Amino acid sequence: MSQIEFHQVSKRFENGHEALRDITAAFEEGSMTFLTGHSGAGKSTFLKLLLCLDRPTRGQILVNGVNVAQIPPVRLAYYRQNLGAVFQDHHLLTHRTVFENVALPLRVVGLKEKDIGKRVRAALSRVGLLSKEGLFPRYLSTGEQQRVGIARAVVTRPKILLADEPTGNLDPALSRDIMQLFEQFHQFGTTVIVASHDRELIETMDARIIELSHGAVVRDETEYASGEVLSDESHHVEV
Amino acid sequence: MSKSRGSKSKLSRDPWPRNRSGLAAGGRDHLRVARETLHFVSARMGTSLLVWLLVGIALALPAGLFLLQVNLGAMTDAWDGRPGLSVYFQLDASDPAIQEVVETLRGDASVHGVTFISQAQALAEFQSYASLSDALELLDENPLPASARAVLAGGSGLADLQRLADMVTSAPGVAEVSVEKTWLERVTEITRVISRLGIMLGLLFGIGAVLVTATSVRLAIEARLEELRVLKLVGATDGQIRRPFLYFGVFYGLGGGLVAAMLISLSLLVVETPLTNLLGSYSQNLELAGFDPSFLGVLFAIGGVLGVLGALLAARARLGNLEIL
Repeated sequence: MSQIEFHQVSKRFENGHEALRDITAAFEEGSMTFLTGHSGAGKSTFLKLLLCLDRPTRGQILVNGVNVAQIPPVRLAYYRQNLGAVFQDHHLLTHRTVFENVALPLRVVGLKEKDIGKRVRAALSRVGLLSKEGLFPRYLSTGEQQRVGIARAVVTRPKILLADEPTGNLDPALSRDIMQLFEQFHQFGTTVIVASHDRELIETMDARIIELSHGAVVRDETEYASGEVLSDESHHVEV
Repeated sequence: MSKSRGSKSKLSRDPWPRNRSGLAAGGRDHLRVARETLHFVSARMGTSLLVWLLVGIALALPAGLFLLQVNLGAMTDAWDGRPGLSVYFQLDASDPAIQEVVETLRGDASVHGVTFISQAQALAEFQSYASLSDALELLDENPLPASARAVLAGGSGLADLQRLADMVTSAPGVAEVSVEKTWLERVTEITRVISRLGIMLGLLFGIGAVLVTATSVRLAIEARLEELRVLKLVGATDGQIRRPFLYFGVFYGLGGGLVAAMLISLSLLVVETPLTNLLGSYSQNLELAGFDPSFLGVLFAIGGVLGVLGALLAARARLGNLEIL
């Protein structure tokens, strides 16, 4: 059993737009995967379904064998406490310091203040922002703000780290730094799934790549490498 | 056996074992949230003062009426005079008929005592007080009737008085029954009106206090919407998300209670002198009852409860369908 399994997952919105079509994919524990594809290909929807911010119209998403759509609303919070999420718009709280922003998930899980201090500083140290813990986010560059967002996502040591276009606003050098951070967390055993349209960047990373087009998987590098499936750039063949 | 299977199946609906942070962590979170909320409330003192004043006025009016009712009740209880009725007999009423009426009154549980005044006693009393006593001597016979005055026992009310009057009016030998509705009975009726008015105003102003708090909490929720979305994203439970706003409700309610207590005590200061003079003219001392620590405790508790109700109302309306992103 894989840690994450998508079984024929489809998502159709009320306006009739089909964001995902019959997706079947599995993600092993500790793996690192890039989701790529054009704008509107379904990458964000894929991650939102995994975060239980939305529910699939058809199919099942299993995490550790549990259908996440069947987790009762009152227990979704405990599910999300095991996930880390990073977004292009990093959703930092402007009236709280860097330290307070990163400490937020730890306060939610009820850690003691002294443990919170240690964990927050460790996470900030990991993203290279320890010296800026007392600053408010508006005094940081976009790249630094994104790194604070990453520190907040990993500070609880999540089982799964999800990132939606985390390098969207960054220049190539900064983007590479951010991706290397994700690579580091993957090395620690966290399952990492990053949605990015920056194909040039992700092709340089040593990770599995799944390409989506119009809501369907058109390329899965793992399967492609093993020669089992797909013509690479056809964009028309579904798994 | 079946119990353990049931709990296993329940657990298997979570992908990972739940993080059980325990009571201590819950207590820490409550303290932290209370501190942060207090800081938020004090940082927006203008808005907070306005809310406290509105909630305070809403609490002060019914609470003031309650105090008025308590004091009027105490005043009537302390009054020496008791209500009663006077029965005047026909001039030719026979002694046995008069005796029967007097005994009927004496035997009633609601009657404290009966004083019988014969025709001769009435005449003697009249002669000792009235300047027209000489004129009476010119008459052939005594024109004053025998009478009986019944005084009600404590705890008996106007209904008993009316029942006694109905009972003796049709008795043989009775010419007239006079029910003495003293001002105390009227005060009792006024107290009843005030009591009902207090209940109505309490309900209306209570709803007002809830709505004021709900609106203020709603504004606080809107101001922190982004934070709430992030909290939900990182796994905050619904209880954790609601918690700060319930504390808002508590602080607004308690602050309102404090303002209400201040308004009431200010009002008492203002009316103290004229009230003392008024009661002095009825040989009564001003002893205000009810405005004591237990009254203040109840006032604060009601304020707190109304605040929490308002906060719950706002949280339910705004956070129930909060979208994360």
